Amino acid sequence: MAGTLHRLPTVTPARRLAWRAGAIAAALAITTLFLALSGRDPRLLADLVVRSAVGSRFGLEDLALFLTPLLLTGAAVTVTGRIGVWNIGAEGQFYAGAIGATAVGLFLPGPAWLVLPLMAACGIACGMGWILLPALARAYAGVNEIITTLLLNFVAGLLTTYLAVGPWHDRVTGALASTGRLPVRIPEIWGVVHWGFPIALAIVLALAWLTTRTRWGYQITIGGANDQAARYAGIPVRARILGAMLLSGGLAALAGMFEVAGTVHRLQGGLANNFGYFGIVVAVLARGSCLNVLPAALLMAFILDAGIVLQTQQLTASAVLAITGLVLFMIAIADELAHYRPVTVRRATTGAEARP
Amino acid sequence: MTDPRHAPADGPPPIAPGTPPILQLQGICKYFPGVIANQDVSLDVAPGEIHALLGENGAGKSTLMNVVTGIYQPDGGEIILDGYGQSFAAPQDAIRAGIGMVHQHFKLVPAFTVAENIHLGWRETPFRASAKTLESRTRALSERFGFSVRPDAVVADLSAGEQQRVEILRVLARQARLLILDEPTAVLTPAETRDLFRALRAFRARGNAVILISHKLDEVIDISDRISILRAGRHVGTWRTADCTAAGLATIMVGREIVRRDLRARAPGAAAIARDPGAAAPVLSLRGASCRDARGIETLRDVTLDVHGGEILGIAGVAGNGQRELTQVLTGMMPLSAGTVLLDGAPVPLADPAAFARAGIGHIPEDRLRSGLAPSLDITDNMALREYARPPIGRHGLYDRAAAARLAGTIVAAAEVRVPDLATPIRNLSGGNQQRLVARREIRIASRVLVAAYPSRGLDIGAIATVLRYLTDLRDQGVAVVLVSEDLEELLNVADRIGVLFHGRLMATIDAATADMETIGLLMGGRSAPNGPTSGGGHA
Repeated sequence: MAGTLHRLPTVTPARRLAWRAGAIAAALAITTLFLALSGRDPRLLADLVVRSAVGSRFGLEDLALFLTPLLLTGAAVTVTGRIGVWNIGAEGQFYAGAIGATAVGLFLPGPAWLVLPLMAACGIACGMGWILLPALARAYAGVNEIITTLLLNFVAGLLTTYLAVGPWHDRVTGALASTGRLPVRIPEIWGVVHWGFPIALAIVLALAWLTTRTRWGYQITIGGANDQAARYAGIPVRARILGAMLLSGGLAALAGMFEVAGTVHRLQGGLANNFGYFGIVVAVLARGSCLNVLPAALLMAFILDAGIVLQTQQLTASAVLAITGLVLFMIAIADELAHYRPVTVRRATTGAEARP
Repeated sequence: MTDPRHAPADGPPPIAPGTPPILQLQGICKYFPGVIANQDVSLDVAPGEIHALLGENGAGKSTLMNVVTGIYQPDGGEIILDGYGQSFAAPQDAIRAGIGMVHQHFKLVPAFTVAENIHLGWRETPFRASAKTLESRTRALSERFGFSVRPDAVVADLSAGEQQRVEILRVLARQARLLILDEPTAVLTPAETRDLFRALRAFRARGNAVILISHKLDEVIDISDRISILRAGRHVGTWRTADCTAAGLATIMVGREIVRRDLRARAPGAAAIARDPGAAAPVLSLRGASCRDARGIETLRDVTLDVHGGEILGIAGVAGNGQRELTQVLTGMMPLSAGTVLLDGAPVPLADPAAFARAGIGHIPEDRLRSGLAPSLDITDNMALREYARPPIGRHGLYDRAAAARLAGTIVAAAEVRVPDLATPIRNLSGGNQQRLVARREIRIASRVLVAAYPSRGLDIGAIATVLRYLTDLRDQGVAVVLVSEDLEELLNVADRIGVLFHGRLMATIDAATADMETIGLLMGGRSAPNGPTSGGGHA
């Protein structure tokens, strides 16, 4: 290498966006390469993906259904990220929310206008309860929240399966793997897309306002940027960590409630479908900004949607995870490389990321 | 303890004439960008000698020892060991050559046992290292070198003195012949100090050498054979301890060309010191204030002081003698374990920094990037740190970014800092500009008191003059200023009274106009002032 690299202290949004676009292109190029090597016609597949995912009404409806939980779990992880805490447990809180909502839906008969808000409230309370212990341990004892929230995911997943095949299982049809169909449902607004979608959008916008335009949001931002400075300014950092984590748990739980009451209509094992984990991916892509959760969740939803299409073409379901990982990996590289500029030699400004 | 071979029990052993010094430094220079850390330092350490190294903070002691132990490479000069030139590419080379250093902050693994710590990263550790083997080896070492340790104890459970013995034993086990101790007695009780000195004398009696860095003049005179003094990176001189007095050493150590530029003169119309009898209660007071750190060690002991409106109270002392705790107590960041904080004569029930700020107490913290700013956030967010909850920025629980930006613009203008735009992350500014911004931000808060910890640290001369002018302006407006500094020149020029901290205790508060270096130096070294011009203001 003849030239030296110069590190830029700050990167403009345009520059970062350009690098990220390059990263996604590179990830797609690598995916294409592997599809071609495995004997498929990438052009045909790409055509199919685009036509069925965004070129058809069914594809767009599916996109919106994927987007709804991703917006909420992505926002959940982003909110804690702003105060420097990683909620890896959105998956578990999603399940907890679904369980709480199902309990109300199954055992509390009543009109939909009354039962649905109760389901949401109970679901959110369960999600908050699910994160309460890790949040208290983190705020008051400094226990690493990454481990505690993660491990509780498995507990919640198994509890859901237990309820679905055990005490709550469907006694009408005799199906063993799920509860009976819930008597109430979130009304649809467009095809299979239910009201959860616009509500999730509105919640993300409200969170963007909450985190940047309120005193609470400012305190969270300072606490996340430098907790010593926050203490110096008299910000109650522990209470803010607790509050942000509870909010996060509630958001992920609401995603679970939407999923169970709007899309699946029954509680079953595997209901969360990794939405909690994909929420982490969304948050990483969003870089701490709730507004950025919108495009990040859209990208993630598109990848999931494309995955469905690819599965109809006899590709394994793991291909989606591999593509997600590849995109994330490339974007991580691009975010870092965006800080560098070759000083003498103007070469290798674009090619670097395409090299696997 | 009598050793039949030597007449004086633990005295220096007889050394054959012509024996080369264990360590000889010739013209050592070490530069950092914009700083001369060491310039032309030459000194030698003979076998069978305890050599004390004295100097103020920033005099270059640590840099010099880092050169000797191979952590830094010198930019000039030579290191000669036993008469042969040496250069250390890495700390391991220095350890192999028999130089061992015990740092002020121990470098032990708290979760490991004593035996494991001793054997960590040591080439002589047996390949099959069972706990039993390591413990019996440790016991043998402990007996051989006369440092009693408990091999199976976990380091985290040990007292500071015990941890230090482990640290020293670890160095001695690696065949150190030159032991360097940085402030070894700072964490020790008097009994532990006596034990340490007995062991050091025994070590010396075997023909080894010790370099002892200390600020405690009494101890230095008690244990050392010779004393070298560094000042501003240069070697001032080396004296036989027998020829030295504590007072003389204090004068040499701090007695550089002090430019006494009296900044005490008030501008016409400035507020007078509200200290006369009959005046209102002092703005801020401490009564018997003590606090403890996480390990339960008392870091501030029974401090009583008054700060009056319209005066600058200087706080002198060697770093780490309670200054941090004092500033944190005065600004509500740290609760007291005993005693009270009084604001306008009324006790303050709760240590709450936000409440202190609302009461008009500003705070320029010691380490501005770590505790006074959020480096990754922009100038606007950082300047709003004190006023985000008050109108016009904070109303009805909101955070008005436009109002915050206007405030930031005001502060930037008052600080006369040129910034490209207010959305620049504050870490991109120079240290001097950061300090000016923090100072102006806090001056807006300080309607009653400003507590400024090392406000001129790391600044160039121009920026220092600016920051000191801020303080005197504030004083003239009738605000009380507490100035913590390691720069005596600054304190003597600016402060009205100077309090000296030593081991968390306020040794005395003296009148700055008539203070002399010798008295301050003695107080900083833990001696009470003989009959110094102690003013009554301190212990009211």
